[in-house]
Amino acid sequence: MMRLILFLLLIAVPILGCWTFVRAEELGAWFPGNFSTYGPDIDALFSLIMWPIAITFVGTEVVLAWFCLRYSAKRTDKSVYTHGNHKLEMIWTAVPALVLLGIAFSQMETFGKIKFQKNFPKGEYSIEKPIAEVWASQFDWRMRYPGKDGTLGNVDDLENSFEFAVPADTDVVFLLRSRDVIHSFFVPEFRLKQDALPGHTIPVWFNAKLRPEDEQRGESTFDLVCAELCGWGHYKMAGRVRVMRKDKYQAWLSDLEKDWFTNGKESAQ
Amino acid sequence: MPSDNRRRRALLAQRARTAFFPVAIASLCLTQPACQLEPQTPEVHYSLSADTTAVDPQTKEPLVPRAVQDQILGSLEMLFGTPAYPSFLRTQAWIDDGYDPNYPQYPVEDPGGSGEISDALMEEIQADNAQRFRTQLAHVEAGRYEAVELPSTMPDLIREWSSMLQETPVEKRTGEFQAGARELLSNWYPSLRDSSELYRQQCLHCHGTNGGGDGPTSRFLNPLPRDYRKGVFKFTALKDKARPRRQDLFRILDEGVTGTAMPSFRRFSKAELHGLTDYVRLLGIRGMVESDLVVTYQNESAISVDYVTEAYERTWKRWKDQDDKLIALEEAVPAPTPELIARGRELFLDAKTGNCASCHGEQGLGNGPSAFTLDPDTGEKVSAYKDDWGHPIVPRNLTYGLFRGGRRPVDIYRRIHAGINGTPMPALGGVLPAKDIWAIVHYVGTLSENAHPTAQAAVSHAPSKSDSEPKAH
Ligand code: HEC
Ligand code: HEC
Ligand SMILES: [Cu+2]
Repeated sequence: MMRLILFLLLIAVPILGCWTFVRAEELGAWFPGNFSTYGPDIDALFSLIMWPIAITFVGTEVVLAWFCLRYSAKRTDKSVYTHGNHKLEMIWTAVPALVLLGIAFSQMETFGKIKFQKNFPKGEYSIEKPIAEVWASQFDWRMRYPGKDGTLGNVDDLENSFEFAVPADTDVVFLLRSRDVIHSFFVPEFRLKQDALPGHTIPVWFNAKLRPEDEQRGESTFDLVCAELCGWGHYKMAGRVRVMRKDKYQAWLSDLEKDWFTNGKESAQ
Repeated sequence: MPSDNRRRRALLAQRARTAFFPVAIASLCLTQPACQLEPQTPEVHYSLSADTTAVDPQTKEPLVPRAVQDQILGSLEMLFGTPAYPSFLRTQAWIDDGYDPNYPQYPVEDPGGSGEISDALMEEIQADNAQRFRTQLAHVEAGRYEAVELPSTMPDLIREWSSMLQETPVEKRTGEFQAGARELLSNWYPSLRDSSELYRQQCLHCHGTNGGGDGPTSRFLNPLPRDYRKGVFKFTALKDKARPRRQDLFRILDEGVTGTAMPSFRRFSKAELHGLTDYVRLLGIRGMVESDLVVTYQNESAISVDYVTEAYERTWKRWKDQDDKLIALEEAVPAPTPELIARGRELFLDAKTGNCASCHGEQGLGNGPSAFTLDPDTGEKVSAYKDDWGHPIVPRNLTYGLFRGGRRPVDIYRRIHAGINGTPMPALGGVLPAKDIWAIVHYVGTLSENAHPTAQAAVSHAPSKSDSEPKAH
């Protein structure tokens, strides 16, 4: 009786695990929507790793349960010595090694496309001419846009806090920097996560689209969070990425500039 | 021996067996209610400030007698309500005029508001509400009224919505009902009660129940959270140490105070931020009326109802209609020419006019000669100045490029023109012409221009090629 209960408990854990996994999408616990051009590639990598792991997991759990039933029935006080099985060990070393090697090679193209600087977009925005500099600091995001002169780092730079506005369907390159500790720029819907390291200027790119329901409005917002525990106020680093149709983006930028060099919004109401 | 072992094992197994079911059943029973327990919001009450309840160090008697303290607390509750039901008392004159500060979203008279939210602003708020209540509005459009869930920080809206649902039986929920539901959500403007709830959730742990800047988190912070009760706010667009306008407070909530613990709350909707603005104002006015009453008591040895209403009206007058105090720019920001910057540098260093260097140091590092003194007892270097709240304060290091009141030229212009309220930073508005203030603004801009310490570090630590340091400058 006792043994049966323990056995049921043992197999309940993997069964529940598989059940939540199968139902995750229905329960709304699966991935958020995918709104960047390379998002599907990242998800494909995720699946590539997940399926072998899922199959291995189910396999080992079945074997484990079977062993429990098969070998726990009676206890002999005499031990049995075995020298193992050389062939079997070779197989279970070589097969995972090959699988790992396969994973390593198949992710290279995606990684190269997204992270290698020589593959960065060279259109309207590029590493040399980024759309903005994104500064992370405890506990604040600050987006610094080049002003009229198009270069960063002088008096006519414009700044916006907590909101990163970008044009839709455009290759956007920005520079990620940190003022103090390690932070991480994470936009779940773009499948984009990049650490910001103090003392480094890290170029990052993405190409985002609007949510279908926002086509008419011409603007979608996505959560921007810090994905590196950076201090007591880590939770406060919740910003937004505003993806706008190109004309809306231009209008927004010139509004920012107008606000920057005049009385500002707070004079009129 | 083996038989001994076996007996012990059997005994253990038996014990485990007898214990297993009671333990399992007990834990199952316990988890059930534990999961259903709602987090209980502790009831909070407004109280009097430490100044009012202070005791005489010698006699150990309260400076303001207990009975008068109770009278003050009672008067404040009459004027401002409680944290659960905050509201402004309307004076007879306001009732006659149809003016009601509890409803800034309505025009004066009809249906009785303060008219502080203009039509254009209300349109912005409505557009933002459409986003904020996106899921709820989708349910309304699909007729799934029971599925509409509202955040717990909107008690008044929740109450209105559930009474709408109760009054209209399911079969009568026609197009008219749908339009009403749509209107309720998209025209939403928080009541003071809604905002008090949000304040409790988001601000109280720093700013405290009474807005005294003494919430539980404040012990760990420097600078301390603002004590609203003096009505002194540092970063406004106004001169003459005026009370902040709603727009000034809104900007603080929208942008945060960079480089301090005060976060940006832009992730909340416009309506929610404007509501918080109203509530901060309530706490500020409440604090000022309180100290006004204490002063009245000290002068007159008694407090009458007339004094209370007088203090209330007097304080309101100081908060209302501050628009003429705005430091507005008549013309565009002048271009930062080398001559103007040189002039700014001259004024920055000049001991007679600008005199910034005496506090901020010649390089703007915040270490000027008058910034620190030596403690007579310990001989240690301590800050020479205190702010209005009695805490030591040091002039800012201007080379970091972090400006608490904003980095726009006009923000820095206003800091120099009006000084910084509650701090020793002086106002130069009446002393220097606008042109000279602009010169200083542009000079201050150059102090932090390329001086991001990390950017410098990046150049020296970068790998041999300019791989991680693209030439941005
Ligand atoms: C983590 C702590 C913290 C929280 C949470 C917080 N504040 Fe603050 N707040 C501060 C600090 C610290 C300052 C003072 C900054 C300074 O003196 O430069 C401040 C300043 C302010 C000021 C005054 C700005 C000025 O111009 O003088 C206002 C108004 C304010 N907070 C409102 C709020 C409201 C409303 C909320 C909730 C929505 C809130 N704060 C939440 C820490 C906090
Ligand atoms: C009596 C000392 C004193 C003098 C003189 C003084 N300041 Fe300050 N200044 C301060 C202090 C103290 C602060 C920090 C206030 C705070 O922490 O809120 C400050 C802050 C500032 C800031 C930061 C504002 C922000 O938004 O963060 C600027 C800019 C500034 N001062 C410029 C100047 C300029 C320009 C002058 C000369 C015209 C000047 N100060 C003269 C004491 C002084
Ligand atoms: Cu962070």
